[in-house]
Amino acid sequence: MKKILKTGTPYIWLTACMLTISLLMIGGLILLIMVKGLGVFWPHEMVRFVLKDGSVVMGEIAKTESIPHIKDTYRTKLKIGNRDAFGLDFQWVDHEAVARREYPPDALAFERREWGNLYGFLKGLKVGENTKPISEQELEALIKESYALYKKIRHVEKRAIGNINYVMEKNRLTLRRLQALPSNADTQEKVNDIQVDVNRLESLYHTQENLLAELYQEARKQEVVVTISDGRERTLPVFQIIRMYAPNKMGVFAKVGFYISKFWEFVSAEPREANTEGGIFPAIFGTVMMVFIMSIAVVPLGVLTAVYLKEYAGDNIISRLVRISVSNLAGVPSIVFGVFGLGFFIYFIGGGIDSLFYSESLPTPTFGTGGILWASLTLSLLTVPVVVVATEEGLSSASKSVREGSYALGATKFETLWRVVLPQATPGILTGTILSMARAVGEVAPLMITGVVKLAPSLPLDSHYPFVHLERKFMHLGFHIYDVGFQSPNVEAAVPMVYTTTLVLVITVLTLNISAILLRNRLRKWYNSSAM
Amino acid sequence: MKSIKRRRFTDKAAHWVIKLGGAAVIVVILALFIFIFLEVYPLLKDARVIDKKTFLLSESVIALKTDDQQEIACVLYKKGLVEFISLTDGAVIKKHPLSGLGNALITSVDMADNHLFIGTDDGRLLTVALSFSESFDQGVRIISPEVSEEEPLCFDDQKKPLKSIICKKSDSARVLIASSEDGRLLLRATEETTSLFGRGEKKEVVQDITGLISGAGRNDAPHLSPPDERLAMTPAVTSLALDHFLENLYVGASNGELFHFNISDKENPYLVEKIKASDTAITALGFLLGDVSLVVGDQRGGINVWMRVRDEALASGWALKRIHTLKSHNAAVIAIAPSFRDKGFLTAASDGTINLNHATSEQTLLTITTTAKPATIVFSPKANGALAVDENNTLYLWHISNPHPETTLKTLFGRVWYEGYEKPEFVWQSTGGTDDFEPKLSLTPLIFGTIKGTMYAMLFAVPVGVLAALYTSQFLHKTLKPIKPVIEIMAALPSVVLGFLAGLWLAPLIEKIFPAIIIFPLFILLFISFAIFLWNYIPPAFKGRYKHGAEALFLIPFIIIAAYVSIQLSGYCEHLLFSDDYRRWLNDILGLRYDQRNAVVVGFAIGFAIIPLIFTISEDAMNNVPKSLISASLALGATPWQTAMRVVLPTASPGVFSAIMIGFGRAVGETMIVLMATGNTPIMDWNIFNGFRALAANIAVEIPEAPMGGTLYRTLFLAAMLLFITTFLVNTVAETVRQKMKRRYSKL
Repeated sequence: MKKILKTGTPYIWLTACMLTISLLMIGGLILLIMVKGLGVFWPHEMVRFVLKDGSVVMGEIAKTESIPHIKDTYRTKLKIGNRDAFGLDFQWVDHEAVARREYPPDALAFERREWGNLYGFLKGLKVGENTKPISEQELEALIKESYALYKKIRHVEKRAIGNINYVMEKNRLTLRRLQALPSNADTQEKVNDIQVDVNRLESLYHTQENLLAELYQEARKQEVVVTISDGRERTLPVFQIIRMYAPNKMGVFAKVGFYISKFWEFVSAEPREANTEGGIFPAIFGTVMMVFIMSIAVVPLGVLTAVYLKEYAGDNIISRLVRISVSNLAGVPSIVFGVFGLGFFIYFIGGGIDSLFYSESLPTPTFGTGGILWASLTLSLLTVPVVVVATEEGLSSASKSVREGSYALGATKFETLWRVVLPQATPGILTGTILSMARAVGEVAPLMITGVVKLAPSLPLDSHYPFVHLERKFMHLGFHIYDVGFQSPNVEAAVPMVYTTTLVLVITVLTLNISAILLRNRLRKWYNSSAM
Repeated sequence: MKSIKRRRFTDKAAHWVIKLGGAAVIVVILALFIFIFLEVYPLLKDARVIDKKTFLLSESVIALKTDDQQEIACVLYKKGLVEFISLTDGAVIKKHPLSGLGNALITSVDMADNHLFIGTDDGRLLTVALSFSESFDQGVRIISPEVSEEEPLCFDDQKKPLKSIICKKSDSARVLIASSEDGRLLLRATEETTSLFGRGEKKEVVQDITGLISGAGRNDAPHLSPPDERLAMTPAVTSLALDHFLENLYVGASNGELFHFNISDKENPYLVEKIKASDTAITALGFLLGDVSLVVGDQRGGINVWMRVRDEALASGWALKRIHTLKSHNAAVIAIAPSFRDKGFLTAASDGTINLNHATSEQTLLTITTTAKPATIVFSPKANGALAVDENNTLYLWHISNPHPETTLKTLFGRVWYEGYEKPEFVWQSTGGTDDFEPKLSLTPLIFGTIKGTMYAMLFAVPVGVLAALYTSQFLHKTLKPIKPVIEIMAALPSVVLGFLAGLWLAPLIEKIFPAIIIFPLFILLFISFAIFLWNYIPPAFKGRYKHGAEALFLIPFIIIAAYVSIQLSGYCEHLLFSDDYRRWLNDILGLRYDQRNAVVVGFAIGFAIIPLIFTISEDAMNNVPKSLISASLALGATPWQTAMRVVLPTASPGVFSAIMIGFGRAVGETMIVLMATGNTPIMDWNIFNGFRALAANIAVEIPEAPMGGTLYRTLFLAAMLLFITTFLVNTVAETVRQKMKRRYSKL
């Protein structure tokens, strides 16, 4: 034994074990996110438990586990849906208490626009006081029909009335600004104009409102009657149904189709039910737009710094200070940048902009509160070092002979830099940009205090002039994970979706990183070959 | 073709632009620090007088009041006139002679909300209500004050002057206490009780409670000694204080004694405690906001704050204790005026000095003076001004800037004795339910939490990171080097993802299989031995070129099996080691409470985040150790392991040190993981099974709710500054060490 220890082999194995643990952790983590995140939308079979006390529980199986401290006993967690009827989303069933377990083929799941899923059996369509039997196919057709109606309602609510409100708000602010001015004939005329416009808008608003009421009345005419597991009957307006499916009858292909349509909805639709259902499109959009604005700000600063360090600075005190600053920018906690962003960008600069240009809407702040611009600028400070380091590497790869050739032909230093060196460093700059994007996509702490919200009423990019609204608050994938996972009132129902959001975020970050690494490797190879 | 001149100009301009761009980074980091510092700096500044005004009044004044905006002062003259004076120009806005006063003079006044309770020299009580109605005329605010009197009340049957008076009201009751010039203490309480049938019943209690002070016991036995004799034994009452619960009455006496009575039963008030609060006479008493802390001022100018603190030794369970001592005046304290915003108060002494104090932070922020002995002082409702009238009938108005009276270095980092606590403690509690809640902003629990989280994370990450780096740089086969980027990718995982998984997946998992975590290292050792044993029996032909350097891959299945086995044996191990329930066992045997989101989880998650950092930087350092050194060592007959330990590690140690430093910096500032994977309770306890609250997470949680420029806001900036300075030092040291090492290698 002593002899073996003396050779040191076991210690080498121990250090190997540390590497193995690191590898397993990263592999396990990614596997975990994949499994948890990809499984969310797969339709599970619907099971009906008839319990020994005669009561019936029906729902999708969420998980089965052994009961702690009692041997050979198991329990199953069922997603029973019907939040409006039962008050809960999930119920635990002890296997001991189950008398019979069955998979009724005609059990249906209805995805609703409100109140989550409804599980039950189709009884019929309500006509006046009576219920008329209806087949699933017929109902399917009705749901498709009602979708057109729903789209119309959405259009009136969002676009028509939204536009009117937008113009009304603009008018109100203009009016306030005019009233603050000394009154004369000119302003009086403008005020009158606005009054006329306001009246016109108000009548327009009323027509739209009436239209909406009519649409809603029409929508409510068609109602389905569904028998839920405990035998009660529930009525459900058809236009409230997003999707209807019978999981126990579905084959593999049907399930795959269902899965794809759900996943598409997830990445392209707006959230419902306090972010626990629907999609995450606004969060994806907000993240992308923030990262885009950030890279516009960070690339020039990072490249300038790198060029200064590599091409212009000698070995003097300033260049050493710049190096220390860069390494510190990389090391200072992100929350400190957030605090700086809040105090400097939002309260100091934003507050200044407000009192200069938006004084008519004060005390409601316009730029003096968190927004996508401030969040992006804060993050751009945070990611400068990433761009600097990558660009420096790119600059050192620029071939010396070409550069000297440029000088020999009489080009100035800047001309050489601009026409010869920088083009060769482009892959390095690109790598830096991608890496900084990856960093920004995953950063949450500074955003939490500079403009991210759990639910933004409108995207920062829309059809209203000036189209890009830099002062607006926005949604972000990372914050969405934190908020839904930890701040949601119904965490249990929300967590499965959070895993999918996590998966989307991790895939984005990994794709960005891997492409940056590949780019960097290519750069290094090129550098090595050109050096020879 | 561009001219040479223009080309030169472009070249020069570009030169400057790039130089400025480079310097911009320095500017950014400086701006970061300076801006944060500027936000923190006002915290420790003293109060100052912005503006002082004086007005000469016609007669001697007994009471004073002002409105929110400090635009109007309401003055009560001794001879019975209420006057409203504009504080901008001194003009009299309204006069109201008190008709109910008759020919009597005012001897004492108590002010509460918008009421004046006036005691007269013929033993009567007059209640006067003041109201201010606001109206706007062409954008100008006009305040019109109103005065209404109630019917005067005969308070003292003997018609002696009322020397001091105090009145407090609740929804259904009102208590009046007065001391008469001849030393009697009178109580008059009216209570409205609603009977079962909804009919209001009014009950009135009128009592002479002097006996409680003289020690003759309950007052219902006056026949024991004749009244005159009793009075002779009684120390003279100098001041009164009654809380708004109508329960605790404090009486200051001329011999320095402080009496505490419980008057919750108005018919049977009793003495709770008598204490010698001062060597000389108590001259002024006053409650601070919330009516819990009592300020006691004495003849020699001493100012102390007393509070009832739990004490099991006493029958009542509470004991009066001196909590804070403030800077003394040089003469007798004659008046105390509390702030309506915080635990601040004004004290006036007979030599004309007025001090602005804050009880909790024990600091005297400002001293202002009047030319003659002050007659009355008052704090403005927003605590941004003070008013006083002296005996020369001069009215003073000071506009005061006092944004952060509650903050000193001691309240930020030391133990502070807050109301309701049994001893001085480190407390972070920034918000509370009630209006008179006092924010408790000690950064110490947060610093502690940060250190705790960082320490547990480092305990996990340093061995794993450094040893894995050692293996990768020295022993890993050349063809397996692409493993390195995999670990780099680990660094790219967003911390919000790690925090989410740690909080919602790992924490419940560890709670369930905690015993497995304990036996896991044992099984790892066991399975490694097994793996070594097996490795020697694998035919060399099968190993191919991986005779050495593939151990890490070979171990993968063994570690997975070790993990699986320990999870399977978790229940059995719990049964064997912890008598079936480890949580109960921890609690019973070790006295440790187990939280689901605890330091183990956080340490693991932050460790996960910093392992790649430590790994990459130390691997770089070890890789850069000159090959000549390694070859020399091996040539001299050292084993690869000896070479790694004795040559590579010492040579690369500066690099490893800077790797650990950078990892430390990252762990200190980690926000999302801590936020999501701990309970965020600001407790100070090294228990690894408890949560904690760290500086960074605390900023993220609280700053969105902190009003800009407020004390909480600035304190959070201070927390950010601490983080900034810590990481700045750590990073600068790490960077310097790394640069030095690079230079040394280049020489070798």
